[in-house]
Amino acid sequence: MGVLLELKDLTKAYDTYAVVDRLNLTINEGELRCLIGPNGAGKTTTMDLITGRQKLTGGKVIFDGREINGLKENKIVRRGIGRKFQVPAVFKDLSVRENLEVAFNRNPDPFANMLMFFRRTDKQRFDEIVELIGLGERLGEKAGFLSHGETQWLEIGMVLTQNPRLLLMDEPTAGMTEQETLKTSEIFKRLKGAHTLVVVEHDMTFVRQIAETISVLHLGKLLAEGPMHQIENDPKVREVYLGAEGISDAA
Amino acid sequence: MSVHDFWTPFSAGPFFNALLLGFTLGAIWLLAALGLTIIYGTMGVINMAHGEFIMVGAYFTFLMQTEAGIPWLACLPLAFIGVAIIGWIVERFLIRYLYARPLDTLLATWGVSLVLIQGVRLIFGGEPQYVAVQPHELTQSAELGFIHIPWLRIFILGATLALAAGTWAILYKTIYGIRVRAVMQNKEMAAAFGINAQQVYGMTFAYGAGLAGIAGAMFGGLKTVFPDMGLGYIVEAFLVVVTGGGHLFGSIYSGAILGELNSVFSYFTNSTFARFVLFVLIVVFLRFYPQGLFPEAKARR
Amino acid sequence: MTGQTQNLYHNKAGQWLCYIALFVVLALVPVFGAEPFQLNVYSRYAVYAMLAVSVSMVWGFGGILSLGQGIPYGLAAYCMGATMQMQYQTPDDPIPSFMLTNELTELPAVWEPFWSTSIGLILALGVPTLIMTIFGILMFQARLAGAFVAIMTLAILNAFYSMAQDLQPFTAGFNGISPPNPFTAFGVTIDPYSEMLYWINLGLLALVTLVSKYVLQSKFGTIVQATRDDAERVRFLGYSVSYFQVVVFVFAGLIATLAGIVWVMTVQYVSPTAFETPFSIYMVIWAAVGGRHSLFGAIVAAIVLNYLQTELADISEIWQKAWLLLLGGIFIAVVLLLPRGLAGLFEYLLGFIKIGRRQAAPGRIAAN
Repeated sequence: MGVLLELKDLTKAYDTYAVVDRLNLTINEGELRCLIGPNGAGKTTTMDLITGRQKLTGGKVIFDGREINGLKENKIVRRGIGRKFQVPAVFKDLSVRENLEVAFNRNPDPFANMLMFFRRTDKQRFDEIVELIGLGERLGEKAGFLSHGETQWLEIGMVLTQNPRLLLMDEPTAGMTEQETLKTSEIFKRLKGAHTLVVVEHDMTFVRQIAETISVLHLGKLLAEGPMHQIENDPKVREVYLGAEGISDAA
Repeated sequence: MSVHDFWTPFSAGPFFNALLLGFTLGAIWLLAALGLTIIYGTMGVINMAHGEFIMVGAYFTFLMQTEAGIPWLACLPLAFIGVAIIGWIVERFLIRYLYARPLDTLLATWGVSLVLIQGVRLIFGGEPQYVAVQPHELTQSAELGFIHIPWLRIFILGATLALAAGTWAILYKTIYGIRVRAVMQNKEMAAAFGINAQQVYGMTFAYGAGLAGIAGAMFGGLKTVFPDMGLGYIVEAFLVVVTGGGHLFGSIYSGAILGELNSVFSYFTNSTFARFVLFVLIVVFLRFYPQGLFPEAKARR
Repeated sequence: MTGQTQNLYHNKAGQWLCYIALFVVLALVPVFGAEPFQLNVYSRYAVYAMLAVSVSMVWGFGGILSLGQGIPYGLAAYCMGATMQMQYQTPDDPIPSFMLTNELTELPAVWEPFWSTSIGLILALGVPTLIMTIFGILMFQARLAGAFVAIMTLAILNAFYSMAQDLQPFTAGFNGISPPNPFTAFGVTIDPYSEMLYWINLGLLALVTLVSKYVLQSKFGTIVQATRDDAERVRFLGYSVSYFQVVVFVFAGLIATLAGIVWVMTVQYVSPTAFETPFSIYMVIWAAVGGRHSLFGAIVAAIVLNYLQTELADISEIWQKAWLLLLGGIFIAVVLLLPRGLAGLFEYLLGFIKIGRRQAAPGRIAAN
């Protein structure tokens, strides 16, 4: 499997303070990578830099062999990078169905969209996603009436609708109940392999459920990288997370 | 109308005078924008009724002069208090319910402005009224060589700087100011530390309105007083806030820069055309610096 | 929890029926033999209704609070005024009288194109569209939103207002242009007090409503409403938000442009009042009172509020002044208590009527 995303010396600095500091990271095609680290480690900023939400001050983002830094957000998305925000962002005044349909963006031209009335939506794919996120019975409802967990799933579904090659998920289980987290991890397991995923998470139980490779960020730098058991026993990581107690209890 | 009539050729003396006038114009705009800045910067509320607060301040001064014979200088603090009370009432009974809907506060305050304009028109009629500026010397002009500037505008420049400095001192040197800034940065957190955010908002809005009241008392002396007069100040005041980035220092700088630019453009062409060019320039400027001259960082997770 | 968001209000067929009923009622007005003067007043209401639709599109659905719908409206009105004025002028008498009083000795170059009615109409449509496009691109590429857009549109509106007033030799300044003759096109003279004009205005209103409704029901309409809810999410779904915003801004501007054109045909007069700040904000008030998310509501509110205003003004001058006071009060109350306007109230009330098959009760999925 080839390299899908490569961060080379990625840097974001304000004056003299670097939030992300010469970060190097490689994500392979089809991989599920968990990005962890204490608050302020630069995880969300890294996602912002990849997706063009913030301008980087140094380094490169190479996606599928091409440099993408400097492109506008929507162009980066159309290259095949989907993103789920930390605070769930759905269109509250639109129905669940409309939310998913907006996300289906085969043609982003406004005038072309004036001639579209949703009949051309890929029915099979639509049904698959609805089944995956389990909102089949609530399609007609306004997204604003969904529970917190459902909103998170809807947003995941919206990002999936675009069939991105790389999915960036910023804390997909934030604020979820234990049961909801369990269901989310099932969604993720089903996505594994078919999609390349980068998941930022705080919830270590969840990370344990889904993770293959874990990258640990600290103060904008890559601290450690490897499978779960290796990370758990890494003394450097232990030190960063709550002194000697280790990351297992950090959630 | 030939190009020659339209375009005033350069001449050092009058041009220098225009530069000085630019500062006094900037001060007028800043004075109009000061309360707006505080209210927007602290509460994120766009107060469309600010121009009408200025107008009410002017009528208040007019009333106190004609009915009670109070000298102009004494009217300034009274106008502050009078309009601050109106501002407090507006916050207490209207704005307070709209904090979750910022764009709707803009609309609701426009409703307030409509009510104020029509209310004043019903009471006083539409004809212009005059505020007498005392001492009388203020209505004359400072003459020195090519310099020719009304004393009143110099007075307004000084008063504006004093009010800006006073506002700065309140915000940064008093306990109340610390509270205001705490609420500005994080309302929930501030509330957790026992700061009554509601009260802070009420006081801030009243203070901002009071500043408009003083502005009205002065503008009433500068020009005539009439129900629609607020509309003449509100747009410039908003532009000062927007180009400045929505905080005190930004407004001071942008007030000076915009006033200066307008004065220079006016010198070469005429005041209307200058206004047009300036407004278009601001739109183009915001294309490249949408957060204004001095942006403040904002995060989304 | 009111998980049930669909009710009779959202019935598509029902909605179309309402629109058809509304336009049938409006179309019947001349049949009941309104006086020519009264008919002209009703024709004006159609223009106001178009402006309310324009605001509803850009603000209600696009989430762009434009306080400057008077810009395209006024620009179109001035182009139309010039066109009609030049229909009156002849090669022997090429200079409009207001220019003579302003000591112009020849027709200004900007007025030359208006000799031709078709070029005049093209300019009336093209100039506002061009300006709105440039203005929109500048604002939305900079990602200005919310109150900033409101302020910038207000500022530019204001700039045009003072220009219209100040450039006396070209615009007749404060007095405005009053073309002596009604508009004539293709050999047909459109008498402002005729049924024909009423049909034209009403037909245009119907057309504008239909096209807007169509646009809203297309995927474009859904995407635009999505940008209103969360522009950044739309951007991260791969759409150029600024492009969509510019298109909806210009689209709404085009509606206001059409309104400006027929307005001058209706009243044979154009003055800086077209660019006045309060007028542009009245448009927002009409749309807000009717319901910002409802074209139907906007149309009805524009007509009813203006009808009330005219009727009250007829009683006495005090009432005329009191009306604006009342309008301010109504507006505050609507913003505070009925953010979705009367249409929202209607939607809420219809919620009490049970219809057909209910959808799954809320909460069931979450428990899975």
